[in-house]
Amino acid sequence: MQTETRPNRTLDTLGLYCPEPVFRTRVALDKMAFGEVLEVFADDPAAEEDLKSLIRRTGNELLRLEKKGSVILFLIRKLR
Amino acid sequence: MKVKKLGDKKKILYVQTSGVDAPERTYAPFILATTAVAMGLDATIYFLIKGVTVVKRGEAEKIKLGDFPSLKEVMDQATKAGVKLEVCEQSCMLLGLERGDFVEDAKIVGAATLNDRLLEADAVMCF
Repeated sequence: MQTETRPNRTLDTLGLYCPEPVFRTRVALDKMAFGEVLEVFADDPAAEEDLKSLIRRTGNELLRLEKKGSVILFLIRKLR
Repeated sequence: MKVKKLGDKKKILYVQTSGVDAPERTYAPFILATTAVAMGLDATIYFLIKGVTVVKRGEAEKIKLGDFPSLKEVMDQATKAGVKLEVCEQSCMLLGLERGDFVEDAKIVGAATLNDRLLEADAVMCF
């Protein structure tokens, strides 16, 4: 059973390289309320592992990671 | 060869900052990491700064020191054994090199991943 999760905020990091996607994701999460969902688009291949690390270390939840060509989409729920 | 379950394995992280201009420093991480896997450990080599030149496609083939096999053979032996190779692509920008064009087994990762690997590792050794 899959339910659609609608993001409360979208962050576009296309064209940006490490560590910008990590920094900007952190800044975006800091502006959000607990329980809200952030959608991040990235095309730096390093972002895949880096954002997973950021999300885990900051105690947030990765709801979905999807790849479409060179673009990676992350759905992150802010828990902390 | 699996001695323990994956989660039980001790982890060693080798950090390679030296490049193909110091070929004598390029063998040890692969040999140590391959040995670590044989010992039932989890081994990762992280390449950054000049270390990225080691995993640029076609470079390891050019290195052969003393009575050792070529660096490419040693690298292939390591990846076949299960050693993980991770590379900081941004180091290419630092050195004025083209991005990408790494050996097939090298995974592109970044700063957050290296920090994470350092915290996860039971031991870290830098070259």
